[in-house]
Amino acid sequence: MHKLGALLRANWLVGASYRMQMLLSIGSLLVMVVPVYFIAHALQPTMARSIAAQGGEYFGFVLVGMIAFTLLTVAVSALPRVIGAAIGSGTLEAYLATPTPLPTILAGLVSYEFLWSLVRAVLLLGAGAALGAHVAWGRSLAALGVLALIVLAHLPFGVLGAALVLWFRTAGPLPRAVLTASGLLGGVYYPTHVIPSWLHAVAGAIPLGYGLRALRVILLENTAPRAVAGDLLVLAAFGAGLWIVSAMAFARALRDARREGALSQY
Amino acid sequence: MARRGAGRRALGGRRVTIAAQAAPVVHGAPAGMPVALRVERLSKRFPVRRGWREMLRHPRERPFATALDGVSFEVRGGEFFALLGPNGAGKSTLFRILSTLVPADEGRATVEGHDVGRDAARVRRVVSSVTTEERSLSWRLSARENLALFAALHDLRGAAKWRRVDEVLECTELADTGNKMVGQFSSGMKQRLLLARALLSRPRVLLLDEPTRSLDPISARRFRAFLREEIGGRQGCTVLIATHNAEEALELCDRVAVLDRGRLRASGTPEELSRRIAGARFRLVTRGASGPVLVELARRGVIRDLVPGETEEGSGWHAVTVAISGGAAGAAAVAGALAAAGVELAALEAVRLPLADLIERVVRDDAAEVPHA
Repeated sequence: MHKLGALLRANWLVGASYRMQMLLSIGSLLVMVVPVYFIAHALQPTMARSIAAQGGEYFGFVLVGMIAFTLLTVAVSALPRVIGAAIGSGTLEAYLATPTPLPTILAGLVSYEFLWSLVRAVLLLGAGAALGAHVAWGRSLAALGVLALIVLAHLPFGVLGAALVLWFRTAGPLPRAVLTASGLLGGVYYPTHVIPSWLHAVAGAIPLGYGLRALRVILLENTAPRAVAGDLLVLAAFGAGLWIVSAMAFARALRDARREGALSQY
Repeated sequence: MARRGAGRRALGGRRVTIAAQAAPVVHGAPAGMPVALRVERLSKRFPVRRGWREMLRHPRERPFATALDGVSFEVRGGEFFALLGPNGAGKSTLFRILSTLVPADEGRATVEGHDVGRDAARVRRVVSSVTTEERSLSWRLSARENLALFAALHDLRGAAKWRRVDEVLECTELADTGNKMVGQFSSGMKQRLLLARALLSRPRVLLLDEPTRSLDPISARRFRAFLREEIGGRQGCTVLIATHNAEEALELCDRVAVLDRGRLRASGTPEELSRRIAGARFRLVTRGASGPVLVELARRGVIRDLVPGETEEGSGWHAVTVAISGGAAGAAAVAGALAAAGVELAALEAVRLPLADLIERVVRDDAAEVPHA
């Protein structure tokens, strides 16, 4: 655990050394929430019925969608990006030459990005609450658990992307495809049942939809997690299946990269 | 300097071996100290990256380039051992295998008895590799923070971690600049920081890949002195240096090995290599018709590698450098033959072939032409 902490600390120190970037990141977040608030209010009459089961308030609905999507973006794209950068700089080889387990190295490489996204998510939620979004703060812990499950279920896409980087030096269209599909069909900005019926089957294969529905019900309806156990189980099943595939792919890609001496050739 | 002296004493029974082309030969380490590193018939080949045209033309072909081909040698504890050779000789591949980063295709390598393939975790606790890859440092962090990260990855924590960080900063003469951002460091300082990073885990075997490549001559000399006195002398590390700087190897190392196109061509002390590969070399200063005599001696195999030197204007004295077989007796035979032919001989003195020339000779010659020990 202290190795993970050391990697997190180092990445935090690097991130904090870009002070202006850090301030702008927070500033843009707070600025962004204002137009979202007005647009959400403008669309409230149209959306109210379709989101009645998920809080009924479109501003809160969108806010939760944006928070989950922020974390999902990190889950899907952070690992391929940091692995690519670590190969390019020779850092990956330097880490692998230490007696540190591979999962610790990988977790350490992305831990800062996750924590920073979580900080931004909390700030976004706080700003939303300040603007009048109704959030069941008492369910924060349960919501955090669901968010963690969403991240865990989508992290395998990042691991697959990292495997592609090890093989081909690019994650290809995978992260973008996952993010686009999740953004359009995962219920980030609108509930999935408003999309055309012929797309429902596709939307059913998007894990984010299950996680978001559970998250909104818990956080915006102030409902116990037990009520959304079905959605959470489906999400967990997706995650478990994807983890098996992605872990095997990454192990194979790393073995190939080692064999071909490609761990420091970008 | 004290260490090198000690090294020489320990290296009393060393021998030199010239590898044959066909059968890999174990290049033996000197007796006296336990073997720290053993490489046995190590082979590695990499797939060759091809262009689109080549791939479309021969889609089923998978060409490979041989990086190491049956390399065998041993290095004893506390020894400084140089791997010399041109670019692409296989030095870095060998280091990557010893660092457990790349698996060998064939053969075996052990570090302090631990197999680099099967026992990689233990090997990583014993071996540290210093590359010239400055980018593997976090330029936005201070030297101390860079080292603290790697100290933690080497299982150091708390006060012990920071104490070790300060120790390695001190011994690499970076203590005063420890809190400075690495991006503001000179190349020499970054090089020392990379070395400091490698020393964190108190390695017993240190692999240095082109350690002075990015240093100016004065910094390089200081760095070599530091390696000799601190790393070899005080810390007693076994050190492998991959370099194509022959003078560096000569100054630092007890033994050198010449690697070329993946094969170990020769190894031994510089003096032994000189004697074995170039033969005993002499400078003759003669006057008169020495040419026919030398040609006849060369035909009989008494001399070889005749290199004409300068001629003194007016007096007719002419210098020539030759390799003479048979040591002092051979030299006496050459002097006698010249005298018998009425050639005046003003000087017959032993000369030493520069190490760089030796390496060039080893690399250039087909191994079959190189004499065996």
